[in-house]
Amino acid sequence: MEERDAILKKKREADRVIITPDELEQLDPVIEKYYGNPGYLIPALKEAQEIFGYLPQEVQYKLAVGLNIPASHVYGVVTFYSFFTIQPRGRHVIRLCLGTACYVKGAKEILEIVQREVGIDVGQTSDDGRFTLEAVRCLGACGLAPVFLVGENTHGNVIPGQTVKILDGYQ
Amino acid sequence: MVTLTIDGVEVTVERGTTILEAAQQAGIRIPTLCHDKRLIPYGSCRLCMVEVTARGRTRTMPACFNPARDGMEVATHTENLIYSRKMQLMLLLRSHPLLCPSCDAAGDCQLQNLVHEYEVGEPPFARESRYFHVDNESHFIRHNMNLCIRCGMCVRICDEVQGQRELSFVNRGMECEVSTDFGRPLDCEFCGQCASVCPVGAITSKWLVGTGRQFELKKTDTTCAFCSLGCRLTLGEKNDKIVYVDSPHAGPNEGSLCVKGRYGWPYVYAEQRLTKPLIRKDGSLREVDWNEALAFVANGLMKVKNATGGSSLGAIGSARLTNEEAYVFNRFVRTVMETANLDHAGGHAYRPLTDAFGPALGYPASPNSVRELRDADVVVLFGADITETHPIAKNEVIAANGRRKARPIIVDSIQTKLTERMGSLFLQVRPGTEYVIANAMLKWIIDGDMVDKKALDLRANGFDELTASLAEYTVENAARITGVSAHLIAEAAKVYAEAGNAAIVLASGMNRVGNTVELAQAAVNLALVTGRIGKRSSGVHLLSEKANSQGALDMGLAPDLLPGFHRIEDEAARAKFSEVWDGAIPESKGLSAREMLDNAESGELRGLYVVGENPVDSYPDRGRVEKALSSLEFLVVQDMFMTSTAKVAHAVLPVASFAEKSGTYTSTDRRVQRLTRAIKNTSAKSDLELFTALAAMMGKPSLTYAGSEQIMEEIARLVEVYAGISYGRLGTQGLVWPCVDPDDQGKELLYEGGFPIGKAHLVPAPTLPEPSDDGLPMYLIPAVLKFHSGSMSERSSSLLEVCPPGTAEMNAKDLKALGLKEGDTVKITSGNGASVQVAAKWSRRAVEGSVIVPYHFSALKLNTFTKWDQPVVKVKVEKV
Ligand code: SF4
Ligand code: SF4
Ligand code: SF4
Ligand code: FES
Ligand code: FES
Repeated sequence: MEERDAILKKKREADRVIITPDELEQLDPVIEKYYGNPGYLIPALKEAQEIFGYLPQEVQYKLAVGLNIPASHVYGVVTFYSFFTIQPRGRHVIRLCLGTACYVKGAKEILEIVQREVGIDVGQTSDDGRFTLEAVRCLGACGLAPVFLVGENTHGNVIPGQTVKILDGYQ
Repeated sequence: MVTLTIDGVEVTVERGTTILEAAQQAGIRIPTLCHDKRLIPYGSCRLCMVEVTARGRTRTMPACFNPARDGMEVATHTENLIYSRKMQLMLLLRSHPLLCPSCDAAGDCQLQNLVHEYEVGEPPFARESRYFHVDNESHFIRHNMNLCIRCGMCVRICDEVQGQRELSFVNRGMECEVSTDFGRPLDCEFCGQCASVCPVGAITSKWLVGTGRQFELKKTDTTCAFCSLGCRLTLGEKNDKIVYVDSPHAGPNEGSLCVKGRYGWPYVYAEQRLTKPLIRKDGSLREVDWNEALAFVANGLMKVKNATGGSSLGAIGSARLTNEEAYVFNRFVRTVMETANLDHAGGHAYRPLTDAFGPALGYPASPNSVRELRDADVVVLFGADITETHPIAKNEVIAANGRRKARPIIVDSIQTKLTERMGSLFLQVRPGTEYVIANAMLKWIIDGDMVDKKALDLRANGFDELTASLAEYTVENAARITGVSAHLIAEAAKVYAEAGNAAIVLASGMNRVGNTVELAQAAVNLALVTGRIGKRSSGVHLLSEKANSQGALDMGLAPDLLPGFHRIEDEAARAKFSEVWDGAIPESKGLSAREMLDNAESGELRGLYVVGENPVDSYPDRGRVEKALSSLEFLVVQDMFMTSTAKVAHAVLPVASFAEKSGTYTSTDRRVQRLTRAIKNTSAKSDLELFTALAAMMGKPSLTYAGSEQIMEEIARLVEVYAGISYGRLGTQGLVWPCVDPDDQGKELLYEGGFPIGKAHLVPAPTLPEPSDDGLPMYLIPAVLKFHSGSMSERSSSLLEVCPPGTAEMNAKDLKALGLKEGDTVKITSGNGASVQVAAKWSRRAVEGSVIVPYHFSALKLNTFTKWDQPVVKVKVEKV
């Protein structure tokens, strides 16, 4: 039985990130606005994410109590929409296109380089808080393939070998 | 009514019935994987697709979702449908691990059964492995989301039925799975409903892990022995040992159980179970064999009786005895011990509430039944934290609130699960003042001319006296006494008066503050004045405390009663019983439990026979109880465990548990249901065997029965409301009394057509109380936890695992003011100097200025604080 569980069990990452009670007070106006009103969970989450940049456990629990929604349902909604994130975002968000055009022109190598050099997978943030990596499907700039964005800046026709140099420009 | 044809069979069903339900009524099975009659149709699995031809057009649609309409022709198993179901099953199998040989659900898995039924072979596409979370940390329940087919039943039952909403679908698309927030272990009601509803092995009860499969178990249907709702249980045994408990869907509780019913049974196998009788020799209790023990008890009781007469003997029974046992105990006490001194539950708990119902309406019982609550529009709960005391009744309020937007009005001194529901009103009262609110609501309704005059004139007496007695109960006065704002009281009255179906719920409990005859009277008056008595989903719901509280009363375990509510002073009744019972019955009312203890202290009562009750731990004023019992010359205790009362006895007789005996219980809905013996290999004797053995030794060999069924035949002959009841008629649904002849189907709703006493009586309200204040800062609230009930749950390893004894729940503000953190030990001291030490716990249900301590735990000795006449206790709380 134990063995079987071990095979099936994939360790769940601890999603917990500490946020101090003082910081948490910034949420009060949002809660006041939607107090006891479960119908406004999405705008409340959006505003909370604007304040903190992400939606850690403390923020979700506080919203759950404030809006009178079970915490499990708040978590369900947060994990449903890709817009919401439970992890803090890095200072620079890399959005790497993995669309067909980019893929055949080397996006895969770029992905591997980022994974290796920055040490993060898609959806993760580096320990130093510098980068978050996101994968996207076709940015509509196939002519520039392979493409990625860092923040608002577009980098097109990237030769995979240059990836590290480009990223060095973002500290 | 609508008529349709399903697979060529014509069925007529009520409007609003789904095609699926119509098929079920016609005995045609349509496969489903996401349907349960307790849940709102969801339509996610699409296995129930059927072909419907109406007005010349044929369409496929899910049967669980679409209503049956006149003239429809439904085909459930066409070639296309079968093909499509096969394909759906293959798709489900695509990512479902095929570890069936080691799965706990194998043999009981709906997916496996359907795959077999539809002869699904190797799917024509590649299998895919995904990895989801597995939770082995939670109590009782295990999640393995790799097996989940995303039918959503667990999420829905936890939300729609339990109102807990512990689970949710998280993540999206391919990654979607069922989880708590952040995947933490469960911290919920632990009802196991999610596990019981899961069609596959994704959520299972841990008991079965490595223990056995469903089909290996020997199953016995019986009735839950914890609270008074009488949920039906199926005990599953392997190698003669219970390993699993579930509930039949055809029972009145529709397959739902609370944590105690589903997981609380291990006390049956507790190490502390007494197996041998004990008698006191040279000052200490020694194990002896049955013959010696019974002779000792018979002699001890006879000695007292011969010396000073039967009236110097007393007997205390219990609301956990079966009807048959209670009936025979009554006979034993009245004709063998020859005393009228008989009582149970301290004579308070349920009795004061029924004392208001009997004279006012006719029967000392709940006029309405719990299942009706789901169709209420307003539910007023006076001091009834039914989430904790009667969890399955709470489910009905959740259903009403979730589906009909019913408004719960909670009049209580603690917050409950229902106070958090949408549309609820919370009237936070000072402990014990619930009845003041009820009377103020009554006055407000009368003054506002919102009474149902027609119903009143026709059906009730005493309106003018009632109105006069309420003069002082203005909302302002009530506000002063209860601490609730006048405005809120008026709003509650208005919401109650204006609602379509408005139900009142009262819940009894031995140490519940405010559990008084005044409250019950006020509640009955409210319902009468607004014309709600005799109406479905309205009226008053009276929830008694223990499994057979109603039956104990029906069987006359009271100083003034014989079975069937006959007064002992009533000569004709006495004659009737004494003929059958072969012995004279004392002519006047005996002593109540409390009076017996008083008389024991003064020496007038010298011998006491206590069956299934534990006065030392459960009656108020522990010190007095201990003193009274120690003054007795002869104390016999009959129990499963060495309780605090048994410890001071001269003889202790071990008895069988609910799983080891047969009989019936009468639920708080007046539903008489079977208890069926499951465990045969036991050394304990049933209470019944002991009564007859003792009777024979005490010179009354005629007190003997061939079994519990024969006793029920006798009960049916002597107790009018049970006249139509016999074991043969008690199916999964039992029978609800009054059931007066063998064709009577019973009556769930009383007083629909009038009152047996002619007209109902409105009883005037008592004078307005004045708030008393003894200066101590906090109220002590002896509370109930859904995980416990007393001496059984306290010895249930499983329940102790989720809810260990002894915490004092306090509000965050109070904790802060006292400089306390969770887990700190606090000392609680009352005005009479009694004190206990417990760990502090933050709790949302504690309101400011109160400390909640559960009263189930004997080690806490909470009853050192309580007094018979002074249920409200104020205390000081300090950090140790
Ligand atoms: S055990 Fe009951 S309360 Fe807990 S998650 Fe399952 S259904 Fe919900
Ligand atoms: S865990 Fe079971 S009940 Fe819940 S969605 Fe999955 S298969 Fe359905
Ligand atoms: S609600 Fe009461 S009767 Fe039903 S399972 Fe729970 S304790 Fe037993
Ligand atoms: S595929 Fe990358 S931009 Fe279109
Ligand atoms: S049972 Fe009808 S869609 Fe699942």
